[in-house]
Amino acid sequence: MNEWTNTGREPDPLPSFLPGPTAPGLGEPQAEVEETLKRIQSHKGVIGTMVVNAEGIPIRTTLDNSTTVQYAGLLHHLTMKAKSTVRDIDPQNDLTFLRIRSKKHEIMVAPDKEYLLIVIQNPCE
Amino acid sequence: MATRAQPGPLSQAGSAGVAAVATVGVASGPGPGRPGPLQDETLGVASVPSQWRAVQGIRGETKSCQTASIATANASAQARNHVDAQVQTEAPVPVSVQPPSQYDIPRLAAFLRRVEAVVIRELNKNWQSHAFDGFEVNWTEQQQMVSCLYTLGYPPAQAQGLHVTSISWNSTGSVVACAYGRLDHGDWSTLKSFVCAWNLDRRDLRPQQPSAVVEVPSAVLCLAFHPTQPSHVAGGLYSGEVLVWDLSRLEDPLLWRTGLTDDTHTDPVSQVLSVATDGKVLLWQGIGAGQLQLTEGFALVMQQLPRSTKLKKHPHGETEVGATAVAFSSFDPRLFILGTEGGFPLKCSLAAGEAALTRMPSSVPLRAPAQFTFSPHGGPIYSVSCSPFHRNLFLSAGTDGHVHLYSMLQAPPLTSLQLSLKYLFAVRWSPVRPLVFAAASGKGDVQLFDLQKSSQKPTVLIKQTQDESPVYCLEFNSQQTQLLAAGDAQGTVKVWQLSTEFTEQGPREAEDLDCLAAEVAT
Repeated sequence: MNEWTNTGREPDPLPSFLPGPTAPGLGEPQAEVEETLKRIQSHKGVIGTMVVNAEGIPIRTTLDNSTTVQYAGLLHHLTMKAKSTVRDIDPQNDLTFLRIRSKKHEIMVAPDKEYLLIVIQNPCE
Repeated sequence: MATRAQPGPLSQAGSAGVAAVATVGVASGPGPGRPGPLQDETLGVASVPSQWRAVQGIRGETKSCQTASIATANASAQARNHVDAQVQTEAPVPVSVQPPSQYDIPRLAAFLRRVEAVVIRELNKNWQSHAFDGFEVNWTEQQQMVSCLYTLGYPPAQAQGLHVTSISWNSTGSVVACAYGRLDHGDWSTLKSFVCAWNLDRRDLRPQQPSAVVEVPSAVLCLAFHPTQPSHVAGGLYSGEVLVWDLSRLEDPLLWRTGLTDDTHTDPVSQVLSVATDGKVLLWQGIGAGQLQLTEGFALVMQQLPRSTKLKKHPHGETEVGATAVAFSSFDPRLFILGTEGGFPLKCSLAAGEAALTRMPSSVPLRAPAQFTFSPHGGPIYSVSCSPFHRNLFLSAGTDGHVHLYSMLQAPPLTSLQLSLKYLFAVRWSPVRPLVFAAASGKGDVQLFDLQKSSQKPTVLIKQTQDESPVYCLEFNSQQTQLLAAGDAQGTVKVWQLSTEFTEQGPREAEDLDCLAAEVAT
């Protein structure tokens, strides 16, 4: 049985497996996932959004299959490397966010114990 | 009775003494019947000395023998165990996105709730940030000038005065092949010509000696490499045949051949598409034993061209429209653009279903492929090229010296550039920069245009030939993007190395191209 451990961020008001009408904004988890992803995707300049699990397999994406698989595999490795780099320098420290800026766009990775959220944005000035 | 015994006069010592043997004769009385006067008498022993022993003594010589020394050496042997192993790459299996049932939705929702705020904040910051304005990183060495890397030629072909009619790079970008022929003969010629290929990655590259030469019975007008097989090349001959060669086989490179009428242009997709001035567009497929078989055929008949523009002549009857250039769209594999002798490009599709009204004999039912006609040039079109970055844009160049930039959505061109007072023989989009194209002119130079910098005059003018003989063909190398090959009427192929500004994309080019394409007149 998987035990859910607190990662140190702000604690949730309710355990997530009990969706109830008492917490505002907590609808069906499925709908909530959709809405959150849609909010991020519709932000200014965002080209694509994807969620990748701990093994590097994409779970949700707004891009086409081959591009998604490529991004997921490569960024998963890079995130693990970045995390181990930060931890090696200072064991009390940990990776919170990763941004890669390239000529054409910017890739943002929000890492977590189980998932990665990858957002690709085109910062056209 | 008397006995006599006397030793021999030469009795030897050591020899057996002859003993005298005497027998005493026994006087016997009168025997029965024996006469009395006969008496036994014993004589002495007569010895005969040995003669041979006296004459031949014992001779002795000293000899010695010895065995040669035995050479010894130590050696060891060991049986080895061999294991055979093979390695083969496989095409990657496409990984797909996991379906929702396989992961835990509530935990995903929790995760998204946690990170959403952070991500939105970063997105906002990024949108407003000026931190990277004007910041550019150079990863590769900057090359400022365009320089000629190689000058390749095949002396026997040059001695015959053949022009380079067509060039192609292979799928890995390391081999350039050129076809020799003549473009200014108006009639049938029995000139033997050549297809030569140079491998630029070899260290012993000799510019006057190609790594593969194929002799062809008639002039080759166009050449194209297979898009995935690095050694297959197809060529269209002046006599109308389409041949496919395998350049890795040195003895008999010819793979497939066919017979046709009239001169052709080829453009291999995975089958070979050939386009001819008699108005036929044919799709060939190689089958086993060496024959290219016609799979589909299209015929261009004037009657069936879509009347979207006013064409000056209204022909009667079923006149064919000759096609001189073909280009496939990089976005839609069934869509291709044909350039015609009449000067107007046609948008065609392989999936057209309508039958062609023509009486040309053909083994396969001919269809009419044209879907849209664009407004014409002032002369026949020699080259068409579809943009690899935008699905609707293509360029066409013709004998009027103009290059037209068309959008597939409208008939009149978006822009028209006059590049030269003479013919333009080839135009190609750059495979890396969306706004750059190159054109080969009849005045012996290659012009590189950058629509971002200036839409009126060329950014770089490369003089290929010294005596202004025309440059007939040019191709970009899509793997090594700084190389551009151009072939001219003197029979040489020059490989140019472009400066860095032509090989690296700037940050906003794709958007600029979209803006250009969106200037469609409504």
